[in-house]
Amino acid sequence: MLKRNLIATAVLAGLTGATAAQDAYNVGLTGALTGPAAGTYAPAVDGLRIYIDKVNAAGGVNGKKINLILLDDSAQPARAAANATRLVTDDKVVLLLNASLSSTYAPVVGESQKANVPLIFASSVCPKDVYPPANALQFCTTAFAANYDSRAVLDFVKATAKAPVKLGLAAMAIPISRGEIDYAEELAKTLGMTPVSKQIIPPPTPDYTPFATLIKEADANWTYSWAPWVTQVRTLEGLRRLGWTGDYIAWSHLEAENELARLKDGKFYVVGANALFQDDLPIHKEIAAAAKAANSQYPVNQMTEGWIAGMVIEAALKAAGWPANAEKVTASLSNLKVDLKGLRGGELQWTKDNHFRTRQYYRVYRWDEAKGAIVRVRDWAAFDVK
Amino acid sequence: MQLAINIAVLAAIYALIACGYVLIYRVSRVLNLAHGELMMLSAYLLLTTASLFSKNPLIALTAAVFLSLCVGVLVYLFLMRRMTGEMVLAAVLTTVALGVLLRGLVVLIWSAQQQNPAQALGWANYSIPVFGAGRISAAGAALIAVTTLIYAGLFLFLRFSRYGIRMRAAGQNPLLAAQRGISLHVIYALAWGLSTFTGAMAGILISLDSGLDSTMVLIGLKAFPAALVGGLDSLVGALLGALIIAAAEVLMIYYVDALLSDVVPFLVLILMLIVRPWGLFGTREELDRV
Repeated sequence: MLKRNLIATAVLAGLTGATAAQDAYNVGLTGALTGPAAGTYAPAVDGLRIYIDKVNAAGGVNGKKINLILLDDSAQPARAAANATRLVTDDKVVLLLNASLSSTYAPVVGESQKANVPLIFASSVCPKDVYPPANALQFCTTAFAANYDSRAVLDFVKATAKAPVKLGLAAMAIPISRGEIDYAEELAKTLGMTPVSKQIIPPPTPDYTPFATLIKEADANWTYSWAPWVTQVRTLEGLRRLGWTGDYIAWSHLEAENELARLKDGKFYVVGANALFQDDLPIHKEIAAAAKAANSQYPVNQMTEGWIAGMVIEAALKAAGWPANAEKVTASLSNLKVDLKGLRGGELQWTKDNHFRTRQYYRVYRWDEAKGAIVRVRDWAAFDVK
Repeated sequence: MQLAINIAVLAAIYALIACGYVLIYRVSRVLNLAHGELMMLSAYLLLTTASLFSKNPLIALTAAVFLSLCVGVLVYLFLMRRMTGEMVLAAVLTTVALGVLLRGLVVLIWSAQQQNPAQALGWANYSIPVFGAGRISAAGAALIAVTTLIYAGLFLFLRFSRYGIRMRAAGQNPLLAAQRGISLHVIYALAWGLSTFTGAMAGILISLDSGLDSTMVLIGLKAFPAALVGGLDSLVGALLGALIIAAAEVLMIYYVDALLSDVVPFLVLILMLIVRPWGLFGTREELDRV
């Protein structure tokens, strides 16, 4: 139902986009709203839509509405290219957003560069171009960050492990996941850990047990996975079915909160840059209330990424003033500070050279069997992004 | 020991899926390229029946399997029946279109998010020790048991039952079978129903073992080489083909490179097509039809 709502919104927005352009900030998004990858992106996009609706309902930004145009690319590069072209040429957006697989980046980036329109990656992987020295037009609000995530994970493992760490590693056979696990393998060695098994698991795999068997037989006492959720959690389940009792640590994707509660595994840690809803912050209540009012059918605890993107867009447009153009928006994005109200460990700050964030914060959670709830194991740990 | 268990579970998955390909091909000479999608649809149907009958998991399971069987029959009656008498290629392309349609519908209805039918049914996937040295999940053990039962059941059905013999007759010579009074449409509908039933069992058990998302379709595709290696018109071949493919895949993970496990089924298939294009138990005559 929600998927249909999103598509209907996308179509409606598409039809009305150009006419609404005259008296509103036009912001366009190409994202994987349908297709196999939609599970990762559609909840965030819905969170963004709800946030922008809320802003508009409160009078908009600088007295003007934000006209958010959502176009579905189903994670297909050709469709993303067509969407980006349309958003830039027909809808004349002042800001582009991408919420899709990295295979869609090249055409969208190309269109952004050609038209000089800033591009924010929201809920999709942050490309290298947003880290210092950043490309002038590319920005990223997404929580996870290659290399920094593994630094945070291994820092936690080192601080927590009671015995010498024999580390199992699991990645999905996609470049970003493999690259991160390769990085973690090398980093682990410098931290005095012993990587004993590294499994690169092809998607889709009908049975994860053979991979898990190799990690178990290598006698790992910790296993770290940085991959799409399916690989992370199915490797863990494979290990547990084999009777492996070690500690398992993985990236806190959108699904983490629900999955921690499903698995109820006290030795399964998730590391993330977003506060989980179990923290019950006022902002969480606000998101939950807005999602309920909007009748969203996505789990509210999967909307944080979209909400953060919405906060950033609001702040950037506010700073850009009215009337805004792509140049003004780029300038405001390049010198931006956004108070995320606890959704992350600190404010999101972009500078001329750093379009990722100047500091990245991590929290660690796990399931507590005694309390029957998710608990925070480690509070925000900060890492400077240079 | 664990190596043998891992091979057995994967072989059971492939065999269960492959027999669906074989059943339809053997009877109607149509390669059902929507088999993976139909398998996935069944697993999603379980998700729905699990929410409808949350207090009765067995009823939910039975209802999902029954619905899947009905879907198979309906696909034949409303779609594939119209392909009767047309070129086989047209029928195959129709199954491709059906697959695309089903993939879209599944995402629209159930979303692309990860689902866990076992949780919806309130079932835990326990780990069972095997001879002390190895372990198998409850769903994995069920996969092996169900695959064995289904193959034994199909063997008995095709060999001794009236409709089984009619299916074989229709597969061997449809014109003669029709002239002898066998209703080909009934036989074909039965084949589609049985094929979807076996695919449903595979999809449901895989989803109970390791969750469900729309990438399950690709698992259906990975089982296709098993059917071809064994010989597309042979159930025994499908069983053996599944074992060969599973063993090659798991041994590759263990001893060579896990990344190659993804391509090894297709390497085995290419090798087989070079050496014996009609498969291990297929008949040379069938090659022309392929």
